[in-house]
Amino acid sequence: MNWRRWNNIIHRDLGYLCFGLTIIYVISGVAVNHIHDWNPTYKIEKVKSNIGPVLSEGRVVTDQEVRNILKKLEIGPEFKKTFQPNSVSLKIYQEGNIIDVELLTGNVVQEKAAKRPFLFQVNFLHLNHPKRLWTWFADLYAICLGILALTGLFVLQGKRGILGRGAWLTAAGFILPLFFLLFYSN
Amino acid sequence: MKLGTIMISLLLVALLNTYAFASNVETFGEKLTISEITNISEILAAPEQFVGKKVLVKGMVVDVCAKRGCWMYLASDKPFEKIQIKVLDGVIVFPMSARGKEALVEGEIEALKYSKEEAIAWLQHMAEEKGESFDPASVTSGMTVYRIKALGAEITE
Repeated sequence: MNWRRWNNIIHRDLGYLCFGLTIIYVISGVAVNHIHDWNPTYKIEKVKSNIGPVLSEGRVVTDQEVRNILKKLEIGPEFKKTFQPNSVSLKIYQEGNIIDVELLTGNVVQEKAAKRPFLFQVNFLHLNHPKRLWTWFADLYAICLGILALTGLFVLQGKRGILGRGAWLTAAGFILPLFFLLFYSN
Repeated sequence: MKLGTIMISLLLVALLNTYAFASNVETFGEKLTISEITNISEILAAPEQFVGKKVLVKGMVVDVCAKRGCWMYLASDKPFEKIQIKVLDGVIVFPMSARGKEALVEGEIEALKYSKEEAIAWLQHMAEEKGESFDPASVTSGMTVYRIKALGAEITE
């Protein structure tokens, strides 16, 4: 078997192997690329309401007063913790819900953060949150992508190969990022 | 076929490794090396004395950067106080689920001195990340922000 046949076998089989993770990285890559416009990992919903003044003047709030606030909001009495950024504001932490209360006005904003299904998981892998062995696996995947690219150059021979049309397209693949680099680095 | 078996085995090992370490303590970044906890209130009372020093602090996570997980705020041991914990984007990513949990953070105290214009830009950026509104007119002068550049953290349920 000549070297080109081996090259094509490696290219084909690595292509199959890398398909899943490539799709994950494609989806997550596009999602994370637009992080300035949206939150690609969490869906955050804010609900505003008013429960009437809780205090007449600023001070530390008691647990009983926190339970009264939750009762007025009709969202269950359970809470994990509370925090007062100042004497007239209160944050109540529930599972998946954070309640901001302006104690003098009774204005309330509930912030419900939910993981975006599928995107949370693909971003988790793409952004290497697992660390540990996943780092090495992702490195191996990156090396495989490099081999895929390299073997891809030599799949075809002749006019459509690397000595013909392939040379122009490969050159374009270098020139385009260089253009952006020069354009934006000034 | 052999290559495929190796890749799939590695994936399984990676996944197992990821979940085998799952516990109610999540660790981030470097291992904690300091054993003595410094109260956040002590730092906030005299921040200049701590600038450049490495400390271990403990507190409830009151807020987390929703987009990148690149900062969080820890509540002080005294009422109405909090301190920002900052990490380099992507090096450590704090999850939003950390809000309301206890955190131990080791890092270096740093001081960011902002002119009025820089303070407006910084506060605007922070408000955008939190999805909140911000009135630039509320800033009347420059400011110094003291925060902890985190090296490692442990967050407990």
